Amino acid sequence: MLYNPPAMHWSDVVIESLREHEVWYATYVPDAINWQVLSKLEADPAFTVVPASREEEAIGIAAGVYAGGGRAAMFMQSSGFGNTINGLAQLLTAYRIPVPLFIGMRGGLGEFNEVQVPSARPIPAILDTLHIQHYAPQREDEVQKYVDGAIELAYASRMPVAVLWYAQLVGAKRATS
Amino acid sequence: MLRREGIAALVRRLDNEPVIANLGPATFDLYAAGDRDANLYTWGAMGLSSSIALGVALAAPDRKVFVTDGDGSLLMNLGSLATIARQAPPNLVHIVWDNRMWFETGGQPTHTSTGTDLGGIALAAGIKNVARAGTVEAFEEALDRAIREPGPWFIHVDIEETGEPRQRPKVVVEENLVKFRRTFTSA
Repeated sequence: MLYNPPAMHWSDVVIESLREHEVWYATYVPDAINWQVLSKLEADPAFTVVPASREEEAIGIAAGVYAGGGRAAMFMQSSGFGNTINGLAQLLTAYRIPVPLFIGMRGGLGEFNEVQVPSARPIPAILDTLHIQHYAPQREDEVQKYVDGAIELAYASRMPVAVLWYAQLVGAKRATS
Repeated sequence: MLRREGIAALVRRLDNEPVIANLGPATFDLYAAGDRDANLYTWGAMGLSSSIALGVALAAPDRKVFVTDGDGSLLMNLGSLATIARQAPPNLVHIVWDNRMWFETGGQPTHTSTGTDLGGIALAAGIKNVARAGTVEAFEEALDRAIREPGPWFIHVDIEETGEPRQRPKVVVEENLVKFRRTFTSA
């Protein structure tokens, strides 16, 4: 075939993977990176999308969806990850509640806000310490394998699994003056 | 009135409806009223019981979902009231036992002891159906309305804390979650 169909945008790959795995609920605290997924989910009547006031609350709501027989993913920015620790430990891990976590990573390549750096950098180490597996696709053509794999793994292991979006994949946020 | 009197009144009205219990005395007293698969007991993640209940209510819109919360815990997650108001699940009933103290850590007075009104905060957050009760009769009246009429409901209950000794429920949390979830997926 001479014609190569245009590749799907990474955000559409995530949405198709959620659909495939019947993850019909999403909870979030807004993040410019994840908003590329969430804005499309909000426009799709198949999905119920719940904005929370704080990240730990979004973890609690996602846990409740699973307890109530459904499946929910949770979306946040790296700056709010610290707010989730107690929910990750005492709820998702202790009760073995699978929730795919999507974390928009600030604080890396091209970061303009120094305050974002110390909150993002320790996230992989904290996830390791919590025994929560995490994966970071670097290229568009890796996204499907990583996201499908992470969602599958979460429900098989009955544990949260995190996908981290770094600037290498999604680009860096630009400073607005 | 006592928390366990309120919980007894709630449990008497239940069939297969889920109840999520806040950590500490709310979990102990719910278990003491008779273990059931549709009870989800929490032992940590303080503050999140109403968030968990919101998730259950959204996932299971055909069941009335009850959460029994505490004043100290809700003070830790007041944003939950705004999120519940925004989602406005008609099947959610949020009960708060207000003993005006952090009982489990030694009875230190919470902010409700100096006048913070959790029902007032719920109302201002946008939850339209707010009731307050200080007697078993008033609580039962509010509860019956909440069962009958669409919500979300917020029932603020002033209770006396007796400090009576409680037996720790024998619950394995993973099993509790699996049994609780099965009440939705196998129905």
